Amino acid sequence: MDQDQIQPVFTTGRRRLLGAAAGVATGCALAMPHIARAAAPIRIGLLQAKEGSIAVQAEYLQRGTFLALEQMNNQLLGQPAEIVWVDEPSAQGAAQNALQLIQQNNVVALLGGSLSSNALAEEAVAGQHKIPFMINNAAAEEITGAKCNPYTFRLQPPVPVQAAAMLPYLQSIGKRWYFLTSAYAFGQDIAASFKTLLKGIGGTVVGDDSVPMGSSDFSSYILKIREAKPDLVIGGLTSADLSNFLKQWKQFGLADKIPFTEIAVGDTDLWAVGKENVAGTYTTLWYYKDPNNSPSDKAFAAAFQKKYGKPAADKAWMGWYSAKIMFEAINKAGSTDPDAIVHALQNWQEQDGGITVHFDKWNNQLVHRFLVVGVKKNIPDDYDYFDVLRSIPDSDAAAQKAFGTAADSACHMTPL
Amino acid sequence: MLDMMIMQAGNGLALGFLYVLIALGLSIIFGLLGIVNFAHGVFFALGAYFSLTLFNLMGWWGVPLALAIVCVIGMITEVLLIRRLYDKEPLVSLIVTFALALLAQAVIRAVWGAQGQPFNAPGWLNGVIIAGPFIIASYRIAIMVCAVVILLAFWAFMNFTPFGRVLRAGSRDPQMVQLLGINLPHVLTGTFGLGCLLAAIAGLLAAPIWTVAPTMGTDAIMPAFVVVTIGGLGSYAGAIVAGLAVGLVQALTIQFMPDASTAAMYVLMAIVLLLRPRGLFGEQWERFE
Repeated sequence: MDQDQIQPVFTTGRRRLLGAAAGVATGCALAMPHIARAAAPIRIGLLQAKEGSIAVQAEYLQRGTFLALEQMNNQLLGQPAEIVWVDEPSAQGAAQNALQLIQQNNVVALLGGSLSSNALAEEAVAGQHKIPFMINNAAAEEITGAKCNPYTFRLQPPVPVQAAAMLPYLQSIGKRWYFLTSAYAFGQDIAASFKTLLKGIGGTVVGDDSVPMGSSDFSSYILKIREAKPDLVIGGLTSADLSNFLKQWKQFGLADKIPFTEIAVGDTDLWAVGKENVAGTYTTLWYYKDPNNSPSDKAFAAAFQKKYGKPAADKAWMGWYSAKIMFEAINKAGSTDPDAIVHALQNWQEQDGGITVHFDKWNNQLVHRFLVVGVKKNIPDDYDYFDVLRSIPDSDAAAQKAFGTAADSACHMTPL
Repeated sequence: MLDMMIMQAGNGLALGFLYVLIALGLSIIFGLLGIVNFAHGVFFALGAYFSLTLFNLMGWWGVPLALAIVCVIGMITEVLLIRRLYDKEPLVSLIVTFALALLAQAVIRAVWGAQGQPFNAPGWLNGVIIAGPFIIASYRIAIMVCAVVILLAFWAFMNFTPFGRVLRAGSRDPQMVQLLGINLPHVLTGTFGLGCLLAAIAGLLAAPIWTVAPTMGTDAIMPAFVVVTIGGLGSYAGAIVAGLAVGLVQALTIQFMPDASTAAMYVLMAIVLLLRPRGLFGEQWERFE
């Protein structure tokens, strides 16, 4: 056989070989998209405010989020992964940025939602475009209530759940309550929830002020409260508004005279006030010095302290924990398919504080313990402000009672 | 109810004095330089931040130094940036100073962090003063006293010092001032520094009642612009009257319609501008026509 005869046979073989290789590669690409796209990192979108009064909380939320990915060696599904962080300038701006993350950055999941108003707008986009979304800060009931969708999950217990947990403490103080709440979803939710509870115990609303967001001067509200002589003030202020109020509350000499309470506060809001000015009873999702923190929570607190030189605020933990859950779910799903991630999230669970931490399947709300905390009489440093009064709920049965059942929920979940 | 309204009015005046100090600096800068300075809130915030930092390092002695530093930063800003805007369209100065405000806020966040920082008034200024139906926080009385002293000093400065007279003349006819052999660029630099100094003093006074945070300048700048617009651009008397009016209107709106408390000052501005488009004390200035 001479060379001329051999050449055509070899050429044909090489073409067949190349064709077969291309076929295998195409098959792999169709069957395992995440492997086929190995060159491009897996992107996670982070929607967290960079400006405005909520940016203080958002800074800690994003730090926790980035730390969670770092702890996974910046890898998901064995591939490089990265977080794309965009702003939430307003509800409309947040929705536009969520859309940009999905359509231009090709993110496989979203994290974020610094404010309830932003989160509600982002949630609609996530639901419409079928992208798994974990809301890490917003607490308005509607998020996992009437506005729920199967792709949106939420970390923070809804306002009515946290309000109900406070009731035993508040009831013992008195039944004449004054409401001072922000004029947006979170504040309105607080006012509605506590009024329902107050009605249930036969109490009286002695004042009800809805405060425009971004208010810096509260002196006129404080004069009204002083005049109304309530047993208790229910706050629903956020971030810098809360800090400003507490400073002025102290200056008017009322911090030691009329008890103040609020739910879902951020450590940073109180750190900004200064230890001389802080008073009150609050709910918070996590506290860095809670002796009952799990080993992984303690490891996170240590890692955060080491990296940033400051204690981990509750918001840092919330960013870290929600990202950790999302990343674990993506790995568990074994792909970036949205429905597979949603399925993995719905089946994600772990044990903590005597309860099974999990998402309720009918509304995608995380069932997790939260804390009732009181300000220490003698605050030892610039960060350790709280005594943990109670951890709620403390059992699976109590959790079901606190978070309610499908029958209690306004969420009508559509199928995937 | 009358007692309550009197209380709210007194309280509103205290807030108004704070607005006056912020707006006065803005008005001076516009009056002489013709610059609508959107970055004015930055100097308000810097006044609070430098005071806090130097107070922590040096005690109360650090506070005057902090104010001087902000004044110098203002003058440097005028030399490096603002000076280049004098012959430009007003829109250009508006955009540039707005960009400067955003940049400066980011710098503040990078240097001091996003988290708010506590800065307290001396302990003896906590609590309230009660006189009959009238109740007001002691610290707010201190703000009013400080503001009145500063306004008197400012009035004396403008009327009885050569620089003040040059400043007043320069705001009306800068070319004539220059023809008289006065170094106008130096006057303009000094004026911008003076405006920034007033903003810094306001920031210092506000720090114990507002949280010292990167956004505090943004929170202050909108009421300041409303005050200047109501009072009449470039009018010092207008800034004082309008500042007190805005404080009063806000306090009284909170008493009856808290939801509308922020909107109230804009409504007041709209009414004033409908009735008197140049503002309460606004005059026709040839150089701005």
